[in-house]
Amino acid sequence: MGLGNTILSDDGVGCRVAMALKDRLNSPDVDIMEASIAGLDFLDVLTGYDRTIIIDAIQTEKGTPGQIYRFGPDILASTRHAGTPHDVNLATALELGKRLNLNLPRRIIIFAIEVKDVTSFSEECTPEVMKAIPACVRMVLQELKEDRT
Amino acid sequence: MASCKATDAVYHVDPPPAAKKLRELFYCAHMNHSHIAHFYALAAPDFVLGPMSDPAQRNILGVVAKVGLQIGGEVIKHRAYAQSIQAVIGGKATHPVCGLPGGMSKAITEEERKDFEEKAKSLVEFAKYSLKLFNDLVLGNKEYLSIITGPVYTMKSYYMGLVDANNKVNFYDGTLRLVDPDGKEVAKFKPSEYLDYIAEHVEPWTYLKFPFLKKVGWKGFVEGKDSGVYRVSPLARLNAADGMATPLAQAEYERMYKTLGGKPVHATLAFHWARLIELVYAAERLLELCQDKEITSPNVRTIPTAKPDEGVGVVEAPRGVLIHHYKTDDKGIVQKVNLIVATAHNYPAMNMSIKKAAQGLIKKGQTVSEGLLNMVEMAFRAYDPCMACATHNLPGKMPLEVVIYDSRGDIIQRLSR
Repeated sequence: MGLGNTILSDDGVGCRVAMALKDRLNSPDVDIMEASIAGLDFLDVLTGYDRTIIIDAIQTEKGTPGQIYRFGPDILASTRHAGTPHDVNLATALELGKRLNLNLPRRIIIFAIEVKDVTSFSEECTPEVMKAIPACVRMVLQELKEDRT
Repeated sequence: MASCKATDAVYHVDPPPAAKKLRELFYCAHMNHSHIAHFYALAAPDFVLGPMSDPAQRNILGVVAKVGLQIGGEVIKHRAYAQSIQAVIGGKATHPVCGLPGGMSKAITEEERKDFEEKAKSLVEFAKYSLKLFNDLVLGNKEYLSIITGPVYTMKSYYMGLVDANNKVNFYDGTLRLVDPDGKEVAKFKPSEYLDYIAEHVEPWTYLKFPFLKKVGWKGFVEGKDSGVYRVSPLARLNAADGMATPLAQAEYERMYKTLGGKPVHATLAFHWARLIELVYAAERLLELCQDKEITSPNVRTIPTAKPDEGVGVVEAPRGVLIHHYKTDDKGIVQKVNLIVATAHNYPAMNMSIKKAAQGLIKKGQTVSEGLLNMVEMAFRAYDPCMACATHNLPGKMPLEVVIYDSRGDIIQRLSR
């Protein structure tokens, strides 16, 4: 599941990785999604899947644009109570789903690409982030391969 | 939905009755999902757990722990019901693609209608339950009731809302009605006339504008009849209307005003109560539309034939009046856009509510606890604001500047991007 907004420059990098994966992956047991969603909507989308790989943009304090991180949802636990005035965040939604015993994926892996610009209106990513897309596609394919063996 | 209606106006086309009903059905489903999410995820933690409770618990997870996992499951189920109705009609629940100038892209089948009807019946029951929960946990608690009705969270303003021909609340269509702080109607106008009634004040310290009532004028951030500050919101809709168009919601409407001492209610925290009364209305109206014989009619589009030029579309977004105004060239390419979203209408009032809460709650020499700060935030959260929607950011970038002053007021650092 690639997340983001494709008209906000690097914010859409997750969707662009998902688009690229559609050309590389044709497997009946794998769905590839691009989604511009947040909060409780995750529960509607993820329910029923066995495993999920989420690809999204990230901005860290000292990160280099184009850098790719791989982690599980547990790393987001410290953000669980950071409320927004408008919805809950991914970590809170996943924790809620877990407590309610929803049929959520038993394994969730997040690939996060360090981005540079998420405020300019543009349908293209910045060059550094653009270069990370094929690398992230390879990492997702490798993840799927290892998951099957 | 406001943009659908604005494009109808741009192309001078009137959608067929079935298309209007289908749009309203879709929109009632949207109201259901949005109001459920706001109450349980954003409002309930302050009341179910308490405004001064541990912030680690004061969230939807804490609410579920207190009211029970079964209720938590019902919240997710009914929110998903509302989303699934939108997804069937709109192609997808978020960012739907069903609206066209003159109507809708497709009709619904009898099988889909039956499915919607069952979900709507369940949503009515869930809305009733949510209101009961509010009654038991909030209104049944004298301390909470006094917080809601106390002066710290009270602000006298004008109110604006969309009403039908009988002056009842309507989310999808109607005329805009304005009432003064005494509840007296001062104006009723077509959405296309909004510029005769609303103007915008600008301050240099914010990206948002401050809408105000043109005929009263901008008098600054002050309350009362002489100030052009007005509010939109679930409570504003109820204050601006004479009632609700469905029976259960009407009974709850009457009960709220009886409990709070008559119309209009100026208690900002009563937005939450009004939101739940609207949840009942949204569910009842959804069910009515699902049972309407015309709802499966295939006639859901009037093909536009006139040359496009200019149009205004107005709906009630979950958090208040939403205005879209487009001007196009003769090919329908947009040349000019003006949007006044609910959070913008409420922006003057939000600033005032926060200031009043802060001044009323934080006293000199008193330790400012996290709980106290949360009680200030409660004044903000009641508006269910969407700051991103309300911000005007023409450069496409945020030319942010941070200036840090020392205690003497001298600039010690200036950061800009």
